[in-house]
Amino acid sequence: MLQFLFRRLLWFAITLFSVVTISFFLMRAVRGGPFDNERALHPAIEANLEARYHLDWPVWKQYLQYVGPFNLDHEGLVLFGGDNSNVFGGVLTGDLGPSFKLRDYTVNDIIGQSLPISIALGSVAMAIALTLGLTAGIVSALRRGTALDLGMRLFATVGIALPNFVIAAFLIIIFAFQLELLPVAGWGSPRYLPLPALALGAPFAAYIARLTRTGMLEVLSADYIRTARAKGLPEWLVLLRHAIKGGILPVVSYLGPATAGILTGSLVIERMFAIPGTGSHFVGSALNRDYTLAMGVTILYTVLVYGLNTLVDLAYTLLDPRIELENS
Amino acid sequence: MASKHKEAAGYDSGSGRFDLDAGQLQALLNEAKRFKGESLWQDAWRRLGRNRGAWWSLVFLTLFVGLSFFAPVLPLPSPMALDPQSEPQPPFLPWEASPRLPENLPPGRSFEFGTGATSSLGAFADNAWRHRTFLDFQLRAEWLPGDPPPGGDELRDLVKAASGRSSAVFVKDGDEPGTVIERHAVPLRDGDRARVEYRPTGFDGTAQVLVVGRDAGAREAWVDFEVDLDRGALESYEVRTSGDGIELVYTLGDEGDQLRDRRYLAEVRGADGITVTRLRIDGERVPLSWSVDGGADPAGLDGQTDAADDLVAALESADQIDLQHLSELQVVSQDGERSIVVRRQAVPAIGQEGHNHADLARAVRAEIASRGSRAALLEMSHLDGIWDLNPLDRALVWVRTKVFGLWQTGPLLGTDNKGRDLLARIVWGSRISIQVSLVATLCSLLIGVTYGAFSGLVGGRTDNLMMRIVDVLYSVPFIFVVIFLITLINEYRTDLADYGIGYMTVFYVVIGAIYWLTMARVVRGQVLSLKNQEFVEAARVLGASTPRILFVHLVPNVLSIVIVYLTLTIPAVMLFEAFLSFLGLGVEPPKVSWGLLAVDGTEAISAVKTFWWVVVFPAMAMGSTLLALNILGDGLRDALDPKLRGKD
Amino acid sequence: MSRPLLEVTDLHKHFPVGHKGIWGEPAGYLHAVDGVSFAVERGQSLGLVGESGCGKSTTARAVVGLHPATSGSIRYEGNELVGLSRRRMLPYRRKMQMIFQDPYASLDPRQTVGSILTEPLRIHRTVKPRQRRLRALALLDAVGLNPRQVNRYPHEFSGGQRQRIGIARALALEPDLIICDEPVSALDVSIQAQILNLLADLQERFGLAYLFIAHDLAVVRHLCQRVAVMYLGRIVEIADRDELFENPRHPYTKALLSAIPVADPVVERARRRIVLEGDVPSPFNPPSGCSFHPRCHLRGEVEGERCSTEQPHLTALAGAGRREASCHLVQLEEARVPVGG
Ligand SMILES: Nc1ncnc2c1ncn2[C@@H]1O[C@H](COP(=O)(O)OP(=O)(O)OP(=O)(O)O)[C@@H](O)[C@H]1O
Ligand code: SF4
Ligand SMILES: [Mg+2]
Repeated sequence: MLQFLFRRLLWFAITLFSVVTISFFLMRAVRGGPFDNERALHPAIEANLEARYHLDWPVWKQYLQYVGPFNLDHEGLVLFGGDNSNVFGGVLTGDLGPSFKLRDYTVNDIIGQSLPISIALGSVAMAIALTLGLTAGIVSALRRGTALDLGMRLFATVGIALPNFVIAAFLIIIFAFQLELLPVAGWGSPRYLPLPALALGAPFAAYIARLTRTGMLEVLSADYIRTARAKGLPEWLVLLRHAIKGGILPVVSYLGPATAGILTGSLVIERMFAIPGTGSHFVGSALNRDYTLAMGVTILYTVLVYGLNTLVDLAYTLLDPRIELENS
Repeated sequence: MASKHKEAAGYDSGSGRFDLDAGQLQALLNEAKRFKGESLWQDAWRRLGRNRGAWWSLVFLTLFVGLSFFAPVLPLPSPMALDPQSEPQPPFLPWEASPRLPENLPPGRSFEFGTGATSSLGAFADNAWRHRTFLDFQLRAEWLPGDPPPGGDELRDLVKAASGRSSAVFVKDGDEPGTVIERHAVPLRDGDRARVEYRPTGFDGTAQVLVVGRDAGAREAWVDFEVDLDRGALESYEVRTSGDGIELVYTLGDEGDQLRDRRYLAEVRGADGITVTRLRIDGERVPLSWSVDGGADPAGLDGQTDAADDLVAALESADQIDLQHLSELQVVSQDGERSIVVRRQAVPAIGQEGHNHADLARAVRAEIASRGSRAALLEMSHLDGIWDLNPLDRALVWVRTKVFGLWQTGPLLGTDNKGRDLLARIVWGSRISIQVSLVATLCSLLIGVTYGAFSGLVGGRTDNLMMRIVDVLYSVPFIFVVIFLITLINEYRTDLADYGIGYMTVFYVVIGAIYWLTMARVVRGQVLSLKNQEFVEAARVLGASTPRILFVHLVPNVLSIVIVYLTLTIPAVMLFEAFLSFLGLGVEPPKVSWGLLAVDGTEAISAVKTFWWVVVFPAMAMGSTLLALNILGDGLRDALDPKLRGKD
Repeated sequence: MSRPLLEVTDLHKHFPVGHKGIWGEPAGYLHAVDGVSFAVERGQSLGLVGESGCGKSTTARAVVGLHPATSGSIRYEGNELVGLSRRRMLPYRRKMQMIFQDPYASLDPRQTVGSILTEPLRIHRTVKPRQRRLRALALLDAVGLNPRQVNRYPHEFSGGQRQRIGIARALALEPDLIICDEPVSALDVSIQAQILNLLADLQERFGLAYLFIAHDLAVVRHLCQRVAVMYLGRIVEIADRDELFENPRHPYTKALLSAIPVADPVVERARRRIVLEGDVPSPFNPPSGCSFHPRCHLRGEVEGERCSTEQPHLTALAGAGRREASCHLVQLEEARVPVGG
């Protein structure tokens, strides 16, 4: 267990390193600096700005500055510089630097403000996906072959086959424009949450329903369930003790990809519903060459995806003792 | 010895050591033809046939692909007929449909298209919307924060007043406060002269020389030279200044003859006091030669240099330059009398420009000036109708005009908020969506199968390392990398175009590069398990070479699982394309894909009026196709999965 | 005596196991085959028996070159095979073929029987292209299948039929030696007999020699003239069939033979069965001395700690049947009974 976590940590470090390095150099490879769009910028001002953000440095130096807890402002290399003129604290210290475009904010500020929103949205979406998906899957497996099953399966397949923003459009038309139950877009009170969360979670609910259904059907036809039934256990107990646990396993292993998917999907949904979450900052910042913000969000999401995946793997072994934690 | 003996005993006739003789064997062989077995492929096909859902999905998909392939034959309106009408029209039934002809293009007449590919399309081009061309304006308006913003209408008015035609707005980019940038497209009309072939060595048809008075700033003017590009692409030019004027001497590619255009300074302004000229060179790699009349040559550059770069380098090394900005160099002659400023501008390689173009540009500028508007003409370019049709599609268009003549359907599924026919857009969009998903999936297939097969075959540490890399890539939130990559590509688009790499190509590769991971894992697992199967070992014992084992035994066995994942990857890629379109990183207008249509749909919803068709129909097209692909993929998995093929 | 067809001398095959660190050296080596020597005469068959995991298959694979041998020599008619390239090995492959254990896995599911049977001919170009299909038919006939089924696929045949196809494939190049790795253990008992009879038939018709691997002693007795018993990667006893079965000398052989039920109920009841204690030790970490000593019921008869410290060697014994055994006890007995007495 400890060894597993240690290994994970090691690979995590490698992953994060590659992500930071690759995206840093990709960003720098793009022609044009962050201040290009601002017209009529006096050359002197531009030079000043670049100097302030160290854009006039050679790229390797910028990279070191960005990654490490170094202060390269002075001659030579000063470790752990606490100087105020140091713009980048360095990723290793947890400081993601200032935003190039939103001048008065640091990336940490922006993430600090927007992440809770994204987490709220993402977790509600995940909860919706799980509740809807599991219920639909179990019901559909138990009532196999009925109209109910058919309907749920149809719904699930359609959910998989539509982009989430289209689902969002339908939801808005129905719930916001026709029924006038919920607000169209925005953020502020719990009333703003259901529509985006549903749109975000729907494809995953559909997939989870499918997984649960197949898993349950497989388990229900297994020998041990037949034995349990033959022993005269009441049906609901059979279900509770054996079948559901077996049916849920594939869902648990899907949780990792699902989290990643929800994070990705939130890029779109946050834009669609004008929610000031982290995802909404990302695309804009990448297009505007707001290097630090875009990279900050990338790093954040890498950490999130990796951490959640590790959790999921742990949960999986708890549920199914047959699976050993990856070791080789 | 022993084996020689065997061969002598009729080894080759197949009769010596076996009980049957050649005649019997031949007879049996003929009989055996009636006892043909059923291969696993045939078996899978039969199983698929029994799976009703998968079967109908296959039929549906085949029909759909056929439909989209034959799109140019269908009598549909243009998917990009630009109609200034801004409200979506509801769908109506076919029998109410009135054939609408494209505006401004009277039927049955061919018209002059200048040079270029379109003219070869001849007489039927007038009907087919695909061959219409547009002049494309990019306008920028600025306003002070306090003022009311100049809306799109103002800019449209402006273009209309200048060109006499209604334009359609393509791209509107007005997010930043204080600026609106719009791209207007004006359809070309009969009699318009358009299209001059662009070559990278040429330039846009005008050379401008700025003439500045001695008392700096007070008197300056641009002198325009017209280059007769109709006679060929520009090969080289030089500007000569003399006491009384400026002369542009240039050579055209086709005829190779030297032409000159001479402007006397007096023509521009009084000949007096003009001492400084500034030459603007459009395009960086234009061969340049220059000379200075009277006074010493400042940099000792009497004669010719190859390019502006060389000139700059030479000037720099001459150590006589007053370097202010990288983009502008000023050369001061030794007597202090004359100086030449070379301005290097990175002008994006604009496509085609013609005379008419310049006229319109002038007209727009004049219009702007007369209204006192703060708008500015940023860029003029030439926009070809729509998709570049390949010869096959052109043939299909020809068939269409032969069969349907000028008739076309009405908006069966309604129109969108730019007045474009939704059905036509869905059908034409399907071509791009199918193309994107197929090519991208094939890319992923190529990378994934090669990687996975190699990893599985080699095994050991290499395999271990390769799979670790895949694991690492798996845990990277890939969308971010993609967004990076695509913005990167956007920055380098013109450079890539010079190498013949289109945006779409890169797009495919990027998507393919994401989806190869699963494929690599699956293939590797399959190869790993097949590699140790006894039939592979049997082949090895028989002396089969590694390529033989790979292609004769492994590939056909891996193929089935590859096909299954292929069918399941295509819908994923389609969804991803929609996702990118939503973020504005997908296919670009005027091209259209399903992703873009879906995005258009979401933009069309409003509280005032529900244009349901704009949302519903594209969603239906996309949903049903993805559904069919998913069902087919599952069906194929059931039919091809070797696990189901028990030892019975 | 003439040169044996196949002669294996001191064959070793070690598999690296585990890794220290990410790129480190292997943590150790598994000695799957640890100094095996035997010979197969032309037209004769040698049975190789032993418990699961003792290295029988590994030996066979090393012989046909599926696993490169770690050390030792494998000679075919006196020609060294170890270290030959694929190309140089080709002529020997024509003489030496293999039949596999699992008839379901040993035939490529996507090829017809015809292509499976003609593949060896295509690789070795022994038969003219136009004759190849005819040869396939003849082969099917020879292994007792209907030649008309040449265009069918493996999955359309039963297990026994598939094994016949495997045999036909091995016969296609008309080898002198066929290595059979448990060719019948995956089949039903009734079909086992058919296949064994077929193998015996073919041996007689074509003058084949077999290296026959089995863990079923009865099977070996039926088919082989000579038998070698393996334990943990070593041969512990090798002798002519009748000698070995009637008078086993090595304690392990004795234990194995005592486990065979006898058809006569009287004898069966009177039979003393030697029950081996414990499991087969891991070949990764074999016991010191005689590798059989932790389970040997006769260990006590050798004085001192010799069995657990000193490794016995395969030595020729006196008497009929060209017997060799590797056991301290047997050697002691041998010393007590004078040669020829
Ligand atoms: N490729 C390999 N890598 C590592 N170890 C192996 C490999 N092949 C075989 N072994 C090990 O070598 C030992 C001998 O295996 P082998 O297959 O030769 O046994 P066997 O006598 O044929 O057994 P069985 O009767 O079950 O077929 C076993 O412990 C096995 O785990
Ligand atoms: S050497 Fe000793 S332990 Fe080994 S078999 Fe002989 S008696 Fe048994
Ligand atoms: Mg074996």
